[in-house]
Amino acid sequence: MIKFTKRSLLLAAAGSLALAGGSAHAQDAFKVGAINPYSGAVALYGDEVTRGYELAAEKINANGGLLGKPIKIIRGNATNAQEAIASIDQLSTRDNVDVFIGTYMSAVAAAGSEAALQYDKLYWDTNALAANLTERGLPNFVRSGPSAGTFAELSAKAVVDLVANGLGKKPGDLKVWITHEDSVYGTTIGDRQAELLKEAGVKVVGKTPYSAKSIDLTDVILRMRDGAPDVWLSTGYIPDSNLLLRTAQGQNFKPPVTIFNGTADTKETLEALGPAGLEGIFVVSYPRYDISEKFGPGKDEYLAAYKAKFGGEPIAPQSLNAYVGFQVMAEAIKAAGGTKPEAVVAAAKALNKPLGSYATGFGVKFDDKMQNGLAFPTVGQWQGGKVVTVYPNEAAVPGVKPIGLSSK
Amino acid sequence: MSRTDTLPMPASALKAKSVTGLTTFDTELVRIAAVAIVLLGCTWLLSGQPFYMNILSYTFLFAALATSWNIIGGYGGQFSLAHGVYFAIGAYLAGNLYIRFGLSPWIALVPAALAAAIAAALICWPLFRLKGKFFGIATLAVSEVAFVLANYFDSLTGGPRGMSLPFKAGFSNMIFTNRFSYALLMLGFLIFCLIVSGFVYRTRLGYYLQAVRDDQDAAQASGIDVLYVKMTGMALSAALTAMGGVFFALYLRFIDPPTLLSLPDIGVRFLLISLIGGVGTLFGPLVGALLIVPVEFYLRATIGGSIPGGHLVVLGAVLILCSLFLKRGIVGAVESAWQSIRRRRHG
Amino acid sequence: MSAFINVVTVGLLLGGIYGLVSIGLNLIFGVIRIVNFAQGEFVMLGMYGAYLAYLLIGVDPYVSILVVVPSLFLFGVVVQRFILQPLQNEPMMQVFATFGLLLLLQNMVLAITRGMSYTVPTPLSQVHFDLGGVSLSLSRLIVLLSVCVVAIGLSWFLKHTLLGKSVRAVTQDRRSARLMGINVEWTYMLTFGTGAALAGLAGTLLAPIYTMSPQIGGNFIVAAFAVVVLGGLGSVWGAFAGGFIIGMIEAFAGYYVNPELKHVAWFLVFIIVLIVRPSGLFGVMGAEEVGLREQN
Repeated sequence: MIKFTKRSLLLAAAGSLALAGGSAHAQDAFKVGAINPYSGAVALYGDEVTRGYELAAEKINANGGLLGKPIKIIRGNATNAQEAIASIDQLSTRDNVDVFIGTYMSAVAAAGSEAALQYDKLYWDTNALAANLTERGLPNFVRSGPSAGTFAELSAKAVVDLVANGLGKKPGDLKVWITHEDSVYGTTIGDRQAELLKEAGVKVVGKTPYSAKSIDLTDVILRMRDGAPDVWLSTGYIPDSNLLLRTAQGQNFKPPVTIFNGTADTKETLEALGPAGLEGIFVVSYPRYDISEKFGPGKDEYLAAYKAKFGGEPIAPQSLNAYVGFQVMAEAIKAAGGTKPEAVVAAAKALNKPLGSYATGFGVKFDDKMQNGLAFPTVGQWQGGKVVTVYPNEAAVPGVKPIGLSSK
Repeated sequence: MSRTDTLPMPASALKAKSVTGLTTFDTELVRIAAVAIVLLGCTWLLSGQPFYMNILSYTFLFAALATSWNIIGGYGGQFSLAHGVYFAIGAYLAGNLYIRFGLSPWIALVPAALAAAIAAALICWPLFRLKGKFFGIATLAVSEVAFVLANYFDSLTGGPRGMSLPFKAGFSNMIFTNRFSYALLMLGFLIFCLIVSGFVYRTRLGYYLQAVRDDQDAAQASGIDVLYVKMTGMALSAALTAMGGVFFALYLRFIDPPTLLSLPDIGVRFLLISLIGGVGTLFGPLVGALLIVPVEFYLRATIGGSIPGGHLVVLGAVLILCSLFLKRGIVGAVESAWQSIRRRRHG
Repeated sequence: MSAFINVVTVGLLLGGIYGLVSIGLNLIFGVIRIVNFAQGEFVMLGMYGAYLAYLLIGVDPYVSILVVVPSLFLFGVVVQRFILQPLQNEPMMQVFATFGLLLLLQNMVLAITRGMSYTVPTPLSQVHFDLGGVSLSLSRLIVLLSVCVVAIGLSWFLKHTLLGKSVRAVTQDRRSARLMGINVEWTYMLTFGTGAALAGLAGTLLAPIYTMSPQIGGNFIVAAFAVVVLGGLGSVWGAFAGGFIIGMIEAFAGYYVNPELKHVAWFLVFIIVLIVRPSGLFGVMGAEEVGLREQN
């Protein structure tokens, strides 16, 4: 028996050596490793984010590339922390990439950036949301996009500012109910929303976490209906957000104002609820491609490029955010003249761009922990079967106003 | 071995192994030593390449975990799907002790093993009333309950936000800057598990477990305390699994419920690795891990990025083919091939 | 009081969903003794089948049953014939194979759709009745009615037809059934095909309720196992009743305790029932022992 064990070991060893082949070609490209989930439950969004990188890379390549080389994007698939390490290892050693960019999932970003540090490579984050990513103070980590905190802040601000004013109530008279799915994503945003609203004097009458895998969410809706809130704030993934909205519809629960965070702004929700079912619902999300060109200069160019390359409108606003993040990274690398993390981080810190410099309306001003302080989500609203950006006011296309507020 | 062509092969064909004199624990020790030397050699040869060190670390860790599972799942025939719970107990305990009290994970191995053994006894004492698939399904439910509870009691587990273990390199913290050290660590743990498993396999407890697996009533009738044997096997298996959880937590340095308690990634995996290698044999789980973990990494690296879920389509197909053509696992297939060669040679 | 009635209604409707998803699984588990991990994926295929039928020929999901259910029956027969039948005497390898099938099916759908979530439009999904403050959605009501019809039909079939009797004979003793001239392999193929077809039916009927994703099968499968074991192995009415029990517990725990912990509630009840009465609430005493007996 022992002989065979050895033989299978040798076979395994030979197999893994065969793996080592096929590296080291196309050295003349500037290689960017795009770490995202390309399988599993959020594969669509991992792919959508990387589409943003590809569009940005094409734009930069058309203008002579980065550091004199054409950019080549190599995908590293990671759906959890363990796979993130493997992907970083593989792209660092086999493909010898220059820098890493990502990530649709925070757990992947956390493990991936630490692994990248071992290779002394930059990990530039555009789309991960978890607040603690930048709090680690990792020397190779930069986040150009908004964090979960800004989503919570904007939704709280929208409640106090937009909703209270619109309904003609004082913030202290508003009753808010928060629902969120109970993984890290929903919990972080939901908890922060509750904190901020309480600080602003708004009454949070209930907070209901639920599992995104639930077969039925009527209990959540019934509990909330009992509390009769003025505002319903919710954070979830697409299938569970759709189920919540449909259940609310079925139970005749329609609070004066409904605000969803992160999801419920795509075609997938429109299919499930229909235009009438969604009319008036607010969505806090990454800046959308329907913002005004004045607020986000270059967004028309992005939209045209997306349609030309992928044949259709963007699936979700995540790709525009990724597109901008990639551009900021390229600028920092160009200014640093190389890819050493310390140099790029220093160069990024020196970048100072006012709001409205990029297609998302972002500016660039990094804090000590390398979180971009001028990256914010926007608030959209379903109007006539489409989401239009309504808040902040300057992001909205002139003439677009929130509906359903003043009449109540 | 007489072939019975009139009846299909009995369900637990693996027990019908030809007995060519009983192998003793000493013989197994020699074999384990030989395996250790070969694995150490391979690790050393590939030590310059972190990508392979990462794969080897996982391979060794999962080989060790499957070997632990095999003690109760293979020898004892109790197909537990709740081993993720013991794994999580080890990881969370080490994480808490390290973060709150700065306790070295090396020391945490002891309470982790103890806590998991106790938890296993508490969980399985009632569940051992159930047999076969019913036991399996009940443990499946236990695993799901544990997931919800780990998510809910965030003061102990960090809840959905997870728990990050700060990077402080050093031997006493079990945190290393190079992957080679981790590979050696995992290899060491694997050898430890193999020795424990080999000891169980070739001593009274192992034979009792196999007797219980093959026919519980007969075992009971011949004076074996069935419940005691099952409980001991389960506690031992759980203790080793929790130690694996400690190593895993310190390797990844970030733990959350999906990483520790996901059924397809953890709970079912121990069973799959054992089955593919040869369940109920000493080296089967190791062989299974050596095959399936690198194949998975390879598939993810080659087609994982281009087609969404493409690598899992291939993996699924590989699993189906394995089940069809390696009914007794790799070890079983190799053994029968070896026997047919011998039979031909000796007439 | 109205809240109470509401919760009971929710539990009933949810029980219908659980029952419908479990009834096929129970047939397979009870008769062939296979723990079919891929059953949730069969439900998922049923949902996507309804979507595909809508996309290609524009039919309503309720009409697509006519296409989807026979297709899944055929698919089940093929799976049983070429994957599970060769493993007939290897119960653990069967589990292994169905797990492989789970990975394969789930990710094939993911590869084809890129993971886009779909919803099948039907005018019926917007219809709700309001009965004195208690809201009933038509699509869920249809599920509830269907599970009753299926349970009655299936139990009649098993009791009164020759084919049904052969299924029961094979369940009780494979070898004696074979001696009596029953073609065991055919019976297995038929049973597995029917189990898959029932999953397909569940999928099409659930398609108007849920937004489908390739992973949605996983949301049903653990609950379905619990229902089957709780209700009683191989008993059609066991799965039926088990579905309602789990549905009720979930509805009450979710509303009165905490939605986050509702799964813990019914898992605990499940484990306790299993320990106190291993054959399930409605199973024949000792059925779990039969399942263990090696049958040739």
